[in-house]
Amino acid sequence: MGVIVGPRVIDAGVSLLSVLISPVPVAAGYPSPAQDYFDGRIDLNEHLIKDITSTYVVRVSGDSMERAGISDGDELIVNRALEPKDGCVVIAVLDGELTIKRLRITPAGVVLQAENPAYPDIRVPALSDLVIWGVATRCLHHV
Amino acid sequence: MSKPALMRHIPQIAHVDVNCFYASAERAFNPSLEGRPVVVLSNNDGCAVTRSPEAKALGIPMGEPWFKLAPRAKEWGLVALSSNYELYGDISARVMELLGRYSAWLEVYSIDEAFLGVKGTPAELLTLGRAMKNAVRRNVGVPVCVGIAATKTLAKLANKWAKNNPAFAGVCHWDSIPAANRESLMSRLSVIEIWGVATRLTKRLNVMGIFSILDLSRADPVMIRDRFSVVMMRTVLELQGTPCIPMEEERIGRDQLIFSRSFATPITTAAGIRQVMSVYGQQASARLAKHGLQAKVLTAFAGTSHFNPNDTSYPSACVPLPMPTADPVILTKASHALLPLINEGVRYARAGIMVTDLRPTGNQAPLALFENPHEERRVGTLLEDVTRRYGQGSIGLGHAGIRGGPDWTMKRDMLSPRYTTHWDELPLVKAA
Repeated sequence: MGVIVGPRVIDAGVSLLSVLISPVPVAAGYPSPAQDYFDGRIDLNEHLIKDITSTYVVRVSGDSMERAGISDGDELIVNRALEPKDGCVVIAVLDGELTIKRLRITPAGVVLQAENPAYPDIRVPALSDLVIWGVATRCLHHV
Repeated sequence: MSKPALMRHIPQIAHVDVNCFYASAERAFNPSLEGRPVVVLSNNDGCAVTRSPEAKALGIPMGEPWFKLAPRAKEWGLVALSSNYELYGDISARVMELLGRYSAWLEVYSIDEAFLGVKGTPAELLTLGRAMKNAVRRNVGVPVCVGIAATKTLAKLANKWAKNNPAFAGVCHWDSIPAANRESLMSRLSVIEIWGVATRLTKRLNVMGIFSILDLSRADPVMIRDRFSVVMMRTVLELQGTPCIPMEEERIGRDQLIFSRSFATPITTAAGIRQVMSVYGQQASARLAKHGLQAKVLTAFAGTSHFNPNDTSYPSACVPLPMPTADPVILTKASHALLPLINEGVRYARAGIMVTDLRPTGNQAPLALFENPHEERRVGTLLEDVTRRYGQGSIGLGHAGIRGGPDWTMKRDMLSPRYTTHWDELPLVKAA
């Protein structure tokens, strides 16, 4: 069994979620002209996550959201604090399962749409009949 | 209802705790558990330590051994889960971070409960209580109840009332309840229901004609102090509305140990937080050793005051430890996982650590495999630090070795995924 030392929490993974944009390496002794402009690495947490306390990462299982660019195995950043609005991609609780759908709020009622013609829409009389678990804000699509 | 102007700014205490915390944390990621009887089992899948209301309704007592429940689980539709401490630690940190936004004065009392200092008119306090309850439910995903009163003891009592009486919708402000109703409640509850009264003291109270909480609240505090203790006198005074249980910085609970405090002067650097974390790491180590315990999960957290709404930061890090440990180096090092999340220049008003997944220390010899010279050097500096702060003899080299407990291949057959702390175990959402 290997020894695991250090943080494994997702939001602590600065090293995992940072991208080096270092100035070009230069010969020792010469200061880099870009040095004064190097302000640290990009921290994806900072840009992708607005409210760490209410944000979770989930993984997609299935192909019903293909047309929205969300594929099987992609990770989604989900903010539970956001109010679900018409057009949002939401995680809804359907038959006890976390399910990803496009939320449509129309005068005729609420529709949970798949983004794949192979899957039918689900109609609900009102938003209050639904449990919306969270609103997806980003898809980490595997290219 | 108008109160005299003087009442407006008397500080009060809110007690917030998560309903059936472990079961609720599981339900947050597995909605199929909603409405089903759920129990969460103690270490080694021994006995039920958390029961959902449905499990309670089946008559399953607290602490019931799993081997007794297992034969009937199928018939009941009972779901049993192993304790998923990493999940609970992270959810707890999120709840506390969120609550910290509502008060500069936050005491993390246990993994699932906190006291907050609050101020306002009765209407404002009720609004605040509801706002906290709704925010935790919505943003984090677990249900809480809130009790607000003049003292900690009454706030806990108000919370219990809110939990048991659906009419409150989860939030009870003690002073807003007519006195006759409060007295009626207190007369129905035995003294054993009150926070801080141990079972063995109940009989002695009963002998004196004190049976209900109302009886105790009407007792003479001085007489109680002479016959019992200062602690019991404080309980009486608290029931009478006089706050006398101060904020505590350290607490050992059933299955966690917490060190947390608000700072007199905000800390604005990662170096400053590092120092605080080191102190907590050492305190936790000493305290674990004192109780003969080792921890498997550590959560470190910090937070800004809500009085600077433009400059908020509530970092936390939940760290699974490589093995059960009470080692100051490992605990301190683990707490440093928080440091990369600290924003330099931000004014942190509080910080703390919580260790969970506690189990008894084993008798095995230190494993040489895991020792290395680098860590030994750090033990030296830590020991100096502790000695300087807490005096000679406050910590010894005896704790420096890493001991693998007897149960470090613990039985956890029904463990749910560590949804929020492991990339390979993220919750799955169905796209179908």
